[in-house]
Amino acid sequence: MSEDLTESATRPTGDGSTILRLEEVTAGYGAGLILKGVDLTVPTGTIVCLIGPNGAGKSTVLKTISGLLRPKDGRVLLRGEDIGRLSSRDRLDRGVVHVPQDRSLFPSMSVWENVLMGAFILKDQALIRSRMERVSALFPIVAARKHAAAGSLSGGEQKQVELARSLMLDPALILLDEPSIGLDPKARRSVFQSITELAADGRTVLLVEQNARSGLAVAHHAAVLEAGRVAITGTGEELLRDPEVARLYLGASAKGAAPAR
Amino acid sequence: MHSLIQALILGILTSGVYALMASGQTLIFGIMKVINLAQGAFVVLSAYLSYSLLTAWGIDPFLSILITTPVLFALGVGIQWALLRPLHKDDAAELSLLVTFAVALGLEGLLSATYSTTFRSIQPGYENFSWTVLGYQVNAVRLFAFVLSLLMLAALYLLLQRTKFGRAIRATVQNPMAAQLLGVNSRLVAALGFGLGAATAAAAGAVFGIITPFNSGSHYDLISRLLTIVVLGGLGSIGGSIIAALVMGVGTALVSALASPIWSDFTFFVVLLLVLLLRPQGLLGAKIRGAL
Repeated sequence: MSEDLTESATRPTGDGSTILRLEEVTAGYGAGLILKGVDLTVPTGTIVCLIGPNGAGKSTVLKTISGLLRPKDGRVLLRGEDIGRLSSRDRLDRGVVHVPQDRSLFPSMSVWENVLMGAFILKDQALIRSRMERVSALFPIVAARKHAAAGSLSGGEQKQVELARSLMLDPALILLDEPSIGLDPKARRSVFQSITELAADGRTVLLVEQNARSGLAVAHHAAVLEAGRVAITGTGEELLRDPEVARLYLGASAKGAAPAR
Repeated sequence: MHSLIQALILGILTSGVYALMASGQTLIFGIMKVINLAQGAFVVLSAYLSYSLLTAWGIDPFLSILITTPVLFALGVGIQWALLRPLHKDDAAELSLLVTFAVALGLEGLLSATYSTTFRSIQPGYENFSWTVLGYQVNAVRLFAFVLSLLMLAALYLLLQRTKFGRAIRATVQNPMAAQLLGVNSRLVAALGFGLGAATAAAAGAVFGIITPFNSGSHYDLISRLLTIVVLGGLGSIGGSIIAALVMGVGTALVSALASPIWSDFTFFVVLLLVLLLRPQGLLGAKIRGAL
């Protein structure tokens, strides 16, 4: 795999403040618990990557942050405010945007309409127009395939549109669930490139990634989630070099080296 | 040949009304995956309301639609809010069949008690008026009804395609979770969508009451026709249900003219059976979804 992008040490890492902190968060569906006390700190302006085996609760962490799921216990602190009991809508108002796993576009709606839906909670038409322009400049696909039905785009193109849509609210924190899943290597590179640019723009990205090597390579910080708890934390690079992480999540070819470009 | 074309005209004009009824049904199914078994009863209720407005105050049935539409909209929103919303998510699709059937039976009972079961028809005075065009009879009421249905369908189309509310509805239909994540209040959309679907019954009811004698039990026949149209069109596709209504309207009128009226209702179900055997996803439907 050679789609790794940049070396984490070369990127800026925010202002040192913490945008998001999970404290002892437990959550699940029905009686069962999936998260069994998750502690996680996300520094402002960084990319934090969450890796771990299937069923460890990675997506559930994102859902408790965006409000698709309310934590049973513990606190979800956004800039110090506990948002754990707020609705999805209230969390959007606070600049938290969640791009779920798989296809999250509206397939029969045009690319343009899909991106416009990203500004659903906004009322200021002038603001919406200026955001549309900015987003189209960042993601040329938005203007180029404006009228195409979103469902007719390739997987990689759809992911670009999803990312474009997520920027319509000018979010401070973007939750990305497996953005590279099902993409070919070229599209995958372009997605990770976009993620790096989001953080360079001052945004914070919390990334869940099955493709652990690529995820860790772009991440400033990383955490391994196992059975509903954070088992290991470190910088992206540290986790890439960690022999235990390499054995379990990076495949046999990992030799502790920093990723090659 | 003359009677064939005459039947064709009748079929096309009638199909507009069915298209209108079915588009409401399709809208509700598309948003909530709810098969609304009360849609026929909504149509019959609207027919009675228009009937009463005409007999009590002399309000023209076409004009009465302005009154009955908001009433049906409110009724739909109320029913969704009070009876469908509380259903547990996992069983909602199945339970809503029972709930909407119960609503249909409740309305039927209420209408029987109020109006007895005598067949009624709305008679504004021009119900039998028709023009003769190139030797063919064009019934005025059916033509008005057809034009009205087209106007209502166009309004529905514009609402869905050109407004923010319409975008929220379509987004919820296509990807409920993604819509919620973007701040769409899916519960509100569901309630208003159900209201909108019920509201289409208002215009349909007024017209239905003029062209067909009805009583409180007429909803059984109506709902089976509507379900046939909706399934034939492809569940959830409004365009499909319009085409299906046309196929059904013209088909039954032709069979009625060529063979006998006795066979015309039968045609409906033969066509449905053939479609389900040969193209189970319906004419325009992508596939029959989930539990269906």
